[in-house]
Amino acid sequence: MSLHVANGRWVVWLSLLVAMLFQIMPLPELVEAWRPDWLLLVIIYWAMALPHRYNILTAWMLGVMLDILLGAPLGIRAFAMSVVVYVVVLHFQRLRNFPMWQQALLVATQVALYNLIIFWVQFVTDTANFDISLFYPAFSSLIMWPWLFWILRRVRRLYKVR
Amino acid sequence: MKPIFVRGISNQFRLTLAVIMSVILLVANDRLEPVRNSLSSLLSPLQYIANIPGVILDESAESLATRNMLARQNKELLRQQLLMSERLQRFEHLRQENDRLRGLLGSPVHMDAKKVVAEVMEVASDPFHQYVVLNRGSRSSVYVGQPVVDAQGVVGQVVQVSELTSRVLLLSDISHGIPVRITRNDVRMMAVGTGSIDELELRHVAKSTDVRAGDLLVTSGLGKRFPEGYPVARVMTVKKDDGKNYATVIAQPLAALDRIRYLLLIWPDIAADAAELITPAGVEEALNAIKESAQ
Repeated sequence: MSLHVANGRWVVWLSLLVAMLFQIMPLPELVEAWRPDWLLLVIIYWAMALPHRYNILTAWMLGVMLDILLGAPLGIRAFAMSVVVYVVVLHFQRLRNFPMWQQALLVATQVALYNLIIFWVQFVTDTANFDISLFYPAFSSLIMWPWLFWILRRVRRLYKVR
Repeated sequence: MKPIFVRGISNQFRLTLAVIMSVILLVANDRLEPVRNSLSSLLSPLQYIANIPGVILDESAESLATRNMLARQNKELLRQQLLMSERLQRFEHLRQENDRLRGLLGSPVHMDAKKVVAEVMEVASDPFHQYVVLNRGSRSSVYVGQPVVDAQGVVGQVVQVSELTSRVLLLSDISHGIPVRITRNDVRMMAVGTGSIDELELRHVAKSTDVRAGDLLVTSGLGKRFPEGYPVARVMTVKKDDGKNYATVIAQPLAALDRIRYLLLIWPDIAADAAELITPAGVEEALNAIKESAQ
């Protein structure tokens, strides 16, 4: 059962770290609202590829880290990420076998759900104004997903991540 | 082969665990401040790395600046410096006079507060609040609630401090309020953020209050958080609608909150070092030096 031994863990964590940096990197004001949710996309990829290793609790931990980095109330992104990754882990078989465009659409829906949950928790606990720009990241994620998927799959095969 | 069925604890259990932990975090948010600060100290290297592209862009812009541009900029700065020094000289005279009068009245003499310059780090923040991250933290003895100003006026206050960074809540944030008074007639008010970067709202202003467009608002010093007398905003519109209980007063912050770069952190309770104090003799000396170099 040597295949059950984890391999290339550092690759996964490195990709998550890079995604985290992309998530907090400065962007021109014009495109700031369109920033894809990089961290969520990468964790969705790993949850889809290796659901038995990277799943809800990984997402939760990354969510807490992102909350701290963004200065948001602790737990908001942790909550949203674990819910979204739960949905992905539940349907990982189906998601994997969808054609790329359908997969991208579903991932974009997940990103929209993620942003909606964040808005909702923010609205309930603190205060927030609803703005349509909330859904911009879903659009940009839709466009970025096929490329990201392709890159991460190459990385996964290259380093034999299991 | 790869396991098709997830073994160990089930996904439902994991989700429940994650949700419960999130709710605990959300509920205990205020009490977790120390934990958050230490974790954020651990993570601040990430912020420094994310800031690098911006720094590189800045530096390349600087190194690509032409000699002409630099000369022009230098001239402009010299001119401004000259004007400032002249004003400072007059100000110094007034300050001494003020101190003497205060002494006569028996009120405490104002002292120069300690200040430190901090730079805004360009990293993304919570989109639901208006924050900026500064490159100074508890190592430079920044504290929560500390007032932050720039060259034009008050910018906001520190809300989170980690070892090497701190987070400033801007005036215009929806959860920020600052006690102000009108310089013209000393009427006191509260200026509350609206969430839009160039607008403050003055709450609960009676319709009979003497407030006009163009009035300058400065900190009133009430609430003990912001020291007295820093300019905050200028009143833009005053609407007295019969259908409403109070007048609607909108003001615009003096600090350009959307393009702040260098900020001053103020320690109202700590006197400035003697070396940092500007004396009339020092001003005169600087003035002469500038005049000579300008000729």
